[in-house]
Amino acid sequence: MAAELHVPATVKAGQAFSIHLTGSGNATLYLIGPDHVVKRSVASANDVEIASGDLRTAGRYRVIICDGSCSSASFEVKSAEPAQLSFFLHPSRVPVSSRDSIDAFVFVFDRYSNLVLVPSVVDFQIKPASGSPLSHQSPTRNGVAWMRIDSTAHEGRVQVTAALGKVEEARVIQQVAAEPCALHIKAVERGGKVALETDPVRDCGGNPLPDGTVVSFTKTDKSGRSTVDTPIRKGVAKTEFRMDGPAKISVACGVALGNEVELGGKL
Amino acid sequence: MKWLLVFVITAATVILLAIAWLQSGGLKQRATSSAVTPEAAVQALMNKIQAHDYQQAYSLLDSNSGTDLQSFVRDVGGSDGSLRTYSALQSADVSPLHADSDQAMVRVRMTWSSAVGSLDDVRDLKVLRNGSVWRVVWPKPEFPSVPPQVLPVNYLRWEVIGRNASQNWGAQEVDSPKVRITSMNAISRPGRVVIVGEIENEDTIPAYLNVNATLLKANGSTIDEEGSFDMISHVLLPKQISPYRIDFPGIRLDAVKSVRMDARALLVPASADPVIAVTDQQVAKDALSRNILKGDLVNQSGRLVNIAQVLAAFYDDSGKVIWVSDGYVDQSLTPQVPVPFAIDIPNDIAERLKNYRVIVNHYTRSSV
Amino acid sequence: MNGLILKTEGLMKVLAKTSSFLLAVCLVAAAQSSPEVHLNADGLAPRPIEELTGTTIVHHYAQAWSHMAEALESSRADRIGDEFVGQAKDRLKQRIVEQAKTGVHVRIVDHGHQLKAIFYSTDGSAMQLVDQAQLEIQTFDGNKLLDTENAPRKYIVLMTPGADRWYVRDLEEISEGAF
Repeated sequence: MAAELHVPATVKAGQAFSIHLTGSGNATLYLIGPDHVVKRSVASANDVEIASGDLRTAGRYRVIICDGSCSSASFEVKSAEPAQLSFFLHPSRVPVSSRDSIDAFVFVFDRYSNLVLVPSVVDFQIKPASGSPLSHQSPTRNGVAWMRIDSTAHEGRVQVTAALGKVEEARVIQQVAAEPCALHIKAVERGGKVALETDPVRDCGGNPLPDGTVVSFTKTDKSGRSTVDTPIRKGVAKTEFRMDGPAKISVACGVALGNEVELGGKL
Repeated sequence: MKWLLVFVITAATVILLAIAWLQSGGLKQRATSSAVTPEAAVQALMNKIQAHDYQQAYSLLDSNSGTDLQSFVRDVGGSDGSLRTYSALQSADVSPLHADSDQAMVRVRMTWSSAVGSLDDVRDLKVLRNGSVWRVVWPKPEFPSVPPQVLPVNYLRWEVIGRNASQNWGAQEVDSPKVRITSMNAISRPGRVVIVGEIENEDTIPAYLNVNATLLKANGSTIDEEGSFDMISHVLLPKQISPYRIDFPGIRLDAVKSVRMDARALLVPASADPVIAVTDQQVAKDALSRNILKGDLVNQSGRLVNIAQVLAAFYDDSGKVIWVSDGYVDQSLTPQVPVPFAIDIPNDIAERLKNYRVIVNHYTRSSV
Repeated sequence: MNGLILKTEGLMKVLAKTSSFLLAVCLVAAAQSSPEVHLNADGLAPRPIEELTGTTIVHHYAQAWSHMAEALESSRADRIGDEFVGQAKDRLKQRIVEQAKTGVHVRIVDHGHQLKAIFYSTDGSAMQLVDQAQLEIQTFDGNKLLDTENAPRKYIVLMTPGADRWYVRDLEEISEGAF
């Protein structure tokens, strides 16, 4: 006759416990969990110790004991205390002053990488490069907490930290200038050439566009059209064109257009 | 018996060699190298160039040619890792322009095959009679030289530190660049459907991008999927805009219900150098009366650019992209020296185009 | 009589061969067919699901279960398939290695899954789902049937997108009262 099994309904991950058996003689015990299978001989009249190492993964476990015939029971291993945060912060670069543009979500895991389903509250601390820090609390639901915030008005690094108890994870994003605004060029003619230089290229909030951003200069004259895509260096973009009579010069950065200058009379 | 066998083998070898010579155009080559006409003289020269026998080709030139052997080889075979150095003369079409008893002008259209397709080089050559033989006058090529100088270059360069493979899911990542297709136009061309448009890197970092298009039927099923291949500037700096073109050969536009576009951008290391200016752009006709967009490329950096590709978007009067065309330049771009380029424009597009925009792709061999 | 016994044995052999062939065909068919999966994404936050994403998730989740069942029955880790990744894959591999060591294997008769999407990140990089599955699980030691369970089961699933598919990154069975 199969031994009778008495198992608890739930066990915390990584916590050992005993299975009480009632029967006689020897039997084979099977423990089948999400990532673990144990098969061993046991004395049916004794308690069987299930080691903590056999119970690390959360989920449903099946215990089967066979001594001629088999009997079985199930129990659930639940996650232990929060120990790791999988923290996602998007995007890693965000234009300034954009509504609902920064997203953060956190999956809460225990030390065995089991999702912690017990509700808790994640504390998000947001520290922009300039301005006062912000804080935002989000409750976890099914092991996940999330929030969405606006980017601030100034470009620069923003550090966001997610904390739950003593567990902390920090991420950094970069707030970058938005589209260029009021793009303007100055032209100086000298020795058959025209030197062109933009004013410092900034967005509408006054944030400088990063160096390397491409500015397109176009000159139209009787020889045709000339274009140069030149990157911003030290905040401004510069180039030079050969002058051959009257010319019209325009500037653009991405889809933003700047002013037009006419040189040497009517084209 | 032994000698008979030797005789038979030798005779067979001679016959086979003769057949091979005849089949490889030996008679023609012999006829053309005798150069009894101006066209034959140019053809003979082309045959030698095709065979990469530049010394022999040079020996066929008229003594009035101003060029030396080294300049001739550099002119014909290319230099400095330019596209011409990776090309081979595929064919040469010779046509007389005019001739009298002692001299003639002959137009030759050399078609060079390269890894990026064929490239045309059209030249009008002067041919002089020298006794009973005609010889080509090859003008001395001018290779502009830049005076020795130091050019300070301090454009930005972006490097990327990737995520460590051992890091867990949820570790800090850097997002891919944000790019946006700003326009897309599906057009019908003879024997194919073509998707043209423009894409912008909206981000503050460089992007390596690819644009793919999927043509769909009315029931949503896929007709075909293609990518832009080299009809795009793959590396775009922040706020840079590139035209793109995707060809679907053998498909009719009326079979297409919709188009699904897919732009994928990757974060890559890149440099803002070199800056290449595109000067004196003009829509004109070439020597073969084809519509072209021509101009000069000026490498504003201090470093040699080995291969340059010019991409142009053509717009109609409503600002819509109606065609995207490209052309490779088979010379390398020496710093500060203008190098001409030309891009074909189909006749119907030339009639409708109101505006155009040109950008330059470049390849620089790191060891140079 | 002997001859009759022999003939009967011969017939039994033929029947046994035929039935094992039929069984093999059924197993192949079962291995190739994926279980029925239905997805409900009503009220999904913070971002709604796109139709194509939903279709892809259903397809790959079904494939994942099909491959997992095949791997657990054959105790072969190479049958896990490409739908599992990260922790879910590591755990499943570990289980299969230990199954193979102990001679234990399980057969899953899959009667379908009702998936409910409960979290979809704004950037589209993660989706959490709850699966109400109807499974019959038979546990064997070698050829000996040890145990049969036939009950509804509940799983919490984390899926993440890859280049051409959605992967199962975490799969944990939870009790009915977990929510």
